Amino acid sequence: MSTSIIWYLREFLRMEWLRTFLFAKTAPLVTPPYFKDYPLPTGNECTACYNCMMICPAPGAIEVLRHTDHWKPMIHRGHCIRCGLCVEACPEDVLWSGRVLDAKRNDATDLRSWYRLTVDDTLCMRCGNCAVSCPVNKQADPSLASTGTASSDEVIMKIEGGRVRVIHEEKCTGCKTCENNCPNKAIRVARMVEGIQERGA
Amino acid sequence: MIIKDTVCPFCGCLCDDIEVTVEDGKIVATDNACTLGTSKFLGDHRMKSPIRRVGKEWKEISYDEAIDYTVDMLLDADRPLLYGWSGTHGEAQCVGVHMAELLKGVIDNTSSVCHGPSILAIQEVGHPGCTLGQVKNRADIIIYWGCNPIDAHPRHLSRYTRYANGFFLENSFRDRKVIVVDVRKSQTTNLADEFVQIKPGCDYAVLSALRAIVRGKGDDLPRTVGGVQREQLFRIVDLCKKAKFGAVYFGLGLTMTAGKYKNIRNAIELVDELNRHTKFTISAMRGHYNVYGSNEVNTWMTGYPFGIDFSRGIAFYNPGETTAVDILARKECDACLIVASDPAAHFPRPCIEHLAEIPVVQIDPYANATTAFCDVQIPVGITGIDAAGTAYRMDGVPIRTKKVLETAYPSDEEILGSVYARIQEVRQP
Repeated sequence: MSTSIIWYLREFLRMEWLRTFLFAKTAPLVTPPYFKDYPLPTGNECTACYNCMMICPAPGAIEVLRHTDHWKPMIHRGHCIRCGLCVEACPEDVLWSGRVLDAKRNDATDLRSWYRLTVDDTLCMRCGNCAVSCPVNKQADPSLASTGTASSDEVIMKIEGGRVRVIHEEKCTGCKTCENNCPNKAIRVARMVEGIQERGA
Repeated sequence: MIIKDTVCPFCGCLCDDIEVTVEDGKIVATDNACTLGTSKFLGDHRMKSPIRRVGKEWKEISYDEAIDYTVDMLLDADRPLLYGWSGTHGEAQCVGVHMAELLKGVIDNTSSVCHGPSILAIQEVGHPGCTLGQVKNRADIIIYWGCNPIDAHPRHLSRYTRYANGFFLENSFRDRKVIVVDVRKSQTTNLADEFVQIKPGCDYAVLSALRAIVRGKGDDLPRTVGGVQREQLFRIVDLCKKAKFGAVYFGLGLTMTAGKYKNIRNAIELVDELNRHTKFTISAMRGHYNVYGSNEVNTWMTGYPFGIDFSRGIAFYNPGETTAVDILARKECDACLIVASDPAAHFPRPCIEHLAEIPVVQIDPYANATTAFCDVQIPVGITGIDAAGTAYRMDGVPIRTKKVLETAYPSDEEILGSVYARIQEVRQP
């Protein structure tokens, strides 16, 4: 019995083993330069344009919140996938993450966005709810806003020729009032985003 | 050529802001109109000339022959029924009433199968109503009960209730609340701030419950009434009492379900109760563009709104006895003149069976389900498109419809006028 214990200790308490175990030499932990952490604030002022929220692909990952005298984007770490799109989309460089801002500046790239309105004519009843409720239309054409009768071509959309005609898509601010007030879900607002690079870069 | 401010002759909204583009004697486009209005304006496949059934064939005949047939049919009849009238103008309806009186016949309009019960209730307890303009400019709460305006009156919400800015509502669709009461989800319920889903046939009970709450007797209510939670009923009454001006609109979901005119009576009495706390009005969502006008014309000429029987030599009115469905179902009627409506698409089967047995003349621009049961059909101009005339909007405002096209079709008034003149020659020589 005793011989077996000595054999056991001799077999397992070898000095080389203990040395390598206790004084292991591995490379030190260094954050690589391309590492993208959760976005952090740069200190620039947020204008609450919501570009970051609108481009974020992860549901519930970023929220622009109003504090007493300023706005600030807040990252929910459990939801954020650290893609860096919010950093890239922000026109004021409010957020910072890895090399995203540097790359954007060096390559002179940017994200351009607009809204596209599509109307499914087979679903649409031409009830005019979209054209009358649209806040941009209400500004542009008081007659449309108060009587449902379009009197100007400066509106985003109106009922013309028996269908909803989208005239000034570029005026759309993407509020989706029309989409939310369409009883048949015939009108859809889509935010289109395109990567652009300025010439000469 | 663009014709502005045309009146749309489809539904009771009578939108008077339509821009119609006419090219080569045809309407090619409409602006501002909804799908229903556009398809009426752009309607095609009009009947070319009067037709008469000969054996199993249709034979084209002249207008004179068609009028001859109609006059003979009506003069031979002991109990003629003149039915329809909701899709034509007031002037033609006037001729119809004169004709019914001279023939000692029965004149009835489509409200006997639609908003007739509303009229019966109004006759009992009055009508706290108002024009659509009042609602647009003042109402901050709208209740749609048993109707789906998006399908039947598509521009009702955008022109008068939810979305249009009013004199006292600068930010209309944030300031107005919309409550929709229905037995199922519909396009309109998608837009509601509060959707009250009731069990079919429980309208009366729910209205009574609301009245009890307004009266302060809500503590006695059970946990649910007609499938609606007590809490929701209290919430609705609260919303209504807090409103500055409320408007209730109801459709056939209230008039033609169990309870019929008693439902409307209860709804009017609920509005009455609410008027002790704030201002509230109630109005019917009238369907045909001039069904209201038909009731008006009948009332000012005979004293009664529909189902008027002249067989006694004086006007006699007893809904359930002198209304079209009852007269046909009892097989009393021996000749029928149908003007601007489509009973074969809506009446019960025994009525249609009787229609198939008696001589029937239909005056209508298009072939429809009733064409299959009539002996002669006379195509006419469409009021508001190729004939002008007066129509009454769902809130009782008379509006003159325009003639936007020149066609050879005679108007309803002209055809009925010549039939009436011929009947006069015989009966009042």
